[in-house]
Amino acid sequence: MTYLFRPDNWEWLITGRNARFIFEGFLVNLQLALIAMVFSLIFGLGLALLRISPWGPVRFATGLWIDLWRNLPLILVILYFAIAMPESWRDAYQTAAPGFLPDVLQRGRVFAALLALVLYNSAVLAEIMRAGIQSLDRGQGEAATALGLTYVQRMRLVILPQGLRRMVPATISQLITLNKDTTLVSIIGIQEVMRQGRILTGNNFFGGVQAPLLHVLLFIGALFIVTNLLLSRLSRRLEIAEQLRTGTTLEPISGLEDQVRPVQAR
Amino acid sequence: MSALFDVLTEHLDEFGGGLWVTLRLVMGAFVIAIVVGTVVAALRIAPSVWLRRLGGIYVESFRNIPLLVLLTMAYAGLRRAGVPIGQWTAGIGALGLYTAAYVAEVLRSGVFAVSKGQIEASLSLGFSYAQTLRRIVLPQAFRTVIPPLGSITIAMIKNSAIIGVSLIALNDILKSARIVQAETFKTEEAFLWAAVGYLLITVTATIAFRFLERRYVISR
Repeated sequence: MTYLFRPDNWEWLITGRNARFIFEGFLVNLQLALIAMVFSLIFGLGLALLRISPWGPVRFATGLWIDLWRNLPLILVILYFAIAMPESWRDAYQTAAPGFLPDVLQRGRVFAALLALVLYNSAVLAEIMRAGIQSLDRGQGEAATALGLTYVQRMRLVILPQGLRRMVPATISQLITLNKDTTLVSIIGIQEVMRQGRILTGNNFFGGVQAPLLHVLLFIGALFIVTNLLLSRLSRRLEIAEQLRTGTTLEPISGLEDQVRPVQAR
Repeated sequence: MSALFDVLTEHLDEFGGGLWVTLRLVMGAFVIAIVVGTVVAALRIAPSVWLRRLGGIYVESFRNIPLLVLLTMAYAGLRRAGVPIGQWTAGIGALGLYTAAYVAEVLRSGVFAVSKGQIEASLSLGFSYAQTLRRIVLPQAFRTVIPPLGSITIAMIKNSAIIGVSLIALNDILKSARIVQAETFKTEEAFLWAAVGYLLITVTATIAFRFLERRYVISR
């Protein structure tokens, strides 16, 4: 305990540009999470719509696809793509990556990380969205059909706004997981916060002050905890707003019970 | 096709060893997660505000920190601080404590599913708070939380793959597959068999939880 709180061991944080160095790494994680999030939400919605398609074989194939990616350990997928991805794909990413991204995220191997993150998270999000859509009263869809709305109108105006709003807490919960999972890309050599932290603890430290690994990691951990707490506070707010508006409470979904907060105590 | 099976049969020792290491890791972590998770859940619903806060701090810290950060802290971090912690203790401990936060949240919601009247009845019958918890609330709470506990366990099994790639570097399924891959350059085959290894464990866990569910679950 004294080791943890001894001021000498925290001196690195206020020395030179050490703290800035960590924040720069953390920013890479946040950006990676943001990019993966946007694509996962888009593809997740597409998969969810296919998963409830009126056509049997499409439903079945999409179900298989979702279950495949959802049930693999994410780090296995990341490592596989990092090793097996053809050179041409990486080059394609490098040329296609927009210039406003930081240099670290323009490297070819980032594509492997992004592909793995998006395949995994879009599958999980698809399942969450499907549950949200199917939790709606059947009458909603039937009424929309009876009113003469087309499939697109039905989805856009009636089903999705209600179904997806119910799933906001579960979705944000998954986004928190995604945010944490961005640290895994350090394994395939992308220069993010874990790697920046390890550099600080090396021999060529900045400012001549040794940074103990445990303290650096505690600081990095605290950054994630604060960010994720902000995210879950946002989720809680939206959930309460939704409950006040519609009077519905969220039911747990089979297989995703750890993500949907079950009905709270009365 | 036969090339696929050749990779497995020629490296059965690596894959089998990896499977056994992962199994031991998840079994150890599961025990820690259940025990610590139960204690933290009890804190979360304790009558004292301070105990509730303590439980809350545990859950929010361990649930929001990346597992890789926790694993690195538990092994390399502690070792550099002069604590001679072993690979197994660090791996099982970190994975178990991380999962315990999720278990605690699920148990807590299970406790809330037990109606307030039962708790009041038990307290008015003269049971102490601890007795009420142990004899009335927890047995029922455990039953309602079997399905969510199952999905947490599956997530934990998948998360265990991070132990092998962290600095702890135990030869679990994924690590063994990488060793085989580096030796033979048969990337697809090695990773496919690793995936099969994880599926084997997750499917077994799923079946076990389905069985428990059918036996014990009470629907409200």
